[in-house]
Amino acid sequence: MVMELDYDRSLYGVEHEAGPFEVTQDMVRSFSGSIGEADPVFNDQAAAHAAGYSGVVAPPTLCAIFVRRVQLPDINLKFGRTRFHAGQRVQSRSPICAGDHLTASSHLKEVYAKTGRSGTMVFIVWETTFRNQDGVVVADVQESYAARE
Amino acid sequence: MTQSNLPYFDDVEMGDEIGPLVKVVSDEEVVNFCEQWGNPMPNRFTDPTIAEKSRLPGPILPGVMSMAIMAQLLTQWAGPAAVKDLDLVFRQPVPHNKPLSIAATVTDTRQEDGENLVECDILMTGEQGERYVGGTALISLPSRPA
Repeated sequence: MVMELDYDRSLYGVEHEAGPFEVTQDMVRSFSGSIGEADPVFNDQAAAHAAGYSGVVAPPTLCAIFVRRVQLPDINLKFGRTRFHAGQRVQSRSPICAGDHLTASSHLKEVYAKTGRSGTMVFIVWETTFRNQDGVVVADVQESYAARE
Repeated sequence: MTQSNLPYFDDVEMGDEIGPLVKVVSDEEVVNFCEQWGNPMPNRFTDPTIAEKSRLPGPILPGVMSMAIMAQLLTQWAGPAAVKDLDLVFRQPVPHNKPLSIAATVTDTRQEDGENLVECDILMTGEQGERYVGGTALISLPSRPA
């Protein structure tokens, strides 16, 4: 049986933009520090330059912290009472370094229902594409939220 | 860091184990992370009372922080720019101040569009075998120089 989901389908195809956000050296170093990432290219400008990067390198999932700066609309899903962060995917396309300015563009990717042992859950997936100041796509981040009855 | 510490594609086989990386994340580290992330505090990641109201056993790690820690296993193994794709499912709330063990298993090696790719399953587990976060990763590795 396919469940008919009630939500705002007019959101498909709409891009929600935010930025530019400057990736500063302090930000990269603080992020690395808060997760205990000690690799010199994530912390030290000289080491990053020596490795051929334009500045300290952002650990691969740093861009995910910018997703919450995009104002995403409520999809008005008529299902469930509790919501939780169910999953996250980061696809790195090109290195992000201190000094880069990133813009974010988010859209509703899919909404689907899944029935398992604990009942039916509905997943809402948003996809955000990050581009740098040269227009190069540096990463795609997907975030899924689950609604549970 | 020199390339000699890092694996070459030629040396990786299906079934190879990566890790484990064992970490204990302190309350203070979560607060520092939330500051970076820009999530207003106190919140369910930093405050026991707010966490309890969200029916959580205690303050938890943000998903983005769990992900950053899991990525670290892969960057330590393969280098800072090797991780192409990390796709995770948050299965259970991840606690502060408890040992978190992160490990990966190689499930496939292949060459695609001139790139050497290693696919693996990655898992963050707890002391009692809790399966907190699981998923897959895709890593690009250089060939051994001829």
